[in-house]
Amino acid sequence: MRHMVYLALALGLVPVQSTVLDHLSIAGVRPDLCLVAVSLIGFFGGMADGMLMGALLGFEQDLFSAGEAWVSVITKAVIGLSGGLVARYVAHVTPVTVAPMMVGLSLCSGMAFLFAGAGGPDAMTAVQAILAPQALLDGVVGVAAFWVLAERFKKDDSLV
Amino acid sequence: MFRSTSVTRRVLLALCALLLSLVFVLPKQSHTLLQAIGRPLADVVAIPLELLSSTDRRVGSFWDRYVALRRVQEENEQLRREIEFLRGQTADLREMAAANQRLTELLSFQARTPSQTVAARVIGRDATNWYHGVVLDKGEQDGVRPEMGVVTLAGAVGRVVKTRASSSVVLLIIDPNNAVTSLIQRTRDEGIVEGTFGGKARMKYIPLLSTMRVGDPVVTSGLTGGFPKGVPVGTITSIQKDEGGLFQSAEVRPEVDFTKLEEVLVVTTPRGTEEPPVALPEEKSKP
Repeated sequence: MRHMVYLALALGLVPVQSTVLDHLSIAGVRPDLCLVAVSLIGFFGGMADGMLMGALLGFEQDLFSAGEAWVSVITKAVIGLSGGLVARYVAHVTPVTVAPMMVGLSLCSGMAFLFAGAGGPDAMTAVQAILAPQALLDGVVGVAAFWVLAERFKKDDSLV
Repeated sequence: MFRSTSVTRRVLLALCALLLSLVFVLPKQSHTLLQAIGRPLADVVAIPLELLSSTDRRVGSFWDRYVALRRVQEENEQLRREIEFLRGQTADLREMAAANQRLTELLSFQARTPSQTVAARVIGRDATNWYHGVVLDKGEQDGVRPEMGVVTLAGAVGRVVKTRASSSVVLLIIDPNNAVTSLIQRTRDEGIVEGTFGGKARMKYIPLLSTMRVGDPVVTSGLTGGFPKGVPVGTITSIQKDEGGLFQSAEVRPEVDFTKLEEVLVVTTPRGTEEPPVALPEEKSKP
């Protein structure tokens, strides 16, 4: 079951991100579904799963982006690993604790993009126009997804 | 009792026969008489007639509205289904007509332009928020290569930055990482158009002595990049002159609506058909 979910995510998430999600953007900024998915995979599936799926989804994202071909691979793999670490070392994880984790991971990922030159010469504008709103969106979507998954896994642990 | 009834009947019969004879013998005069007799009768008869008619209408209405509703409901559902089907068909046809018009215009543009182009469809947006990019459905197997320019009828769109066998990624001219050498069409002053945040572009390195004005069109210079000369880039909306600066800059509103990109042309050879180099006869004879 877990592998089927991973396969579905690997095949469907980036196409959804680059097509459907464009209609749901707020001020031109969309939540990074891959980031949310990878951190939750790390959280629920462990560090190894998070890192591997992060690298795979990041690679796919780089394929369909105009940016450098390594930024998403590395950032998403690190985010997957971080999700696994949080699950291992944080005692009581609730949506309230997941929110800052998601926002923080999104900010770190955004900083990596800025260092790679994605925002152009005007980095401060990029922070205001992309980095901060995306982090907030990722936080909201991440918490919602975490809540749904946490409720689901309470009932059926075999999915994990 | 029986006798009196018989007498009355006879009198009535006699009166009736007289009346009929009168009608037969004097038709015009009898007509007035009949009308005079018939009017109150008609008025009296009209009362139950109206009552019956009203009842009939009400019963009929009741039947149509309530008793026969089942058939009407079925008919209604069928008509609704038909309307939905026809609406879907109309939407499809409108979409096809719009696509047909766009593609016809694109083909017409393709035929007019001296450059060789490949038509492509936009199938997605950049997978991250960090770049203004689009994904095209044409790639290396269609002759698309990195650094090729991408245009539409309206003007310059961007340049190809990544290619794969059957798809490619285009960095739009409104991305801060993109730069296109351009010139102001009226004054012929050259500069570089770069993207800015907010879906606009800025033309930099314009000479201080330029007499450009707001509203001047900006076109590609054709000197570098994959664009032919003269492709519209945008229109100048404001001009900035820095104190002590060596150049002027101008904000440019792009001609292309990047939120509605659907079909584009990838410029494979910006300066027309490139014929293969032909060796001279002397060179051929050389060993």
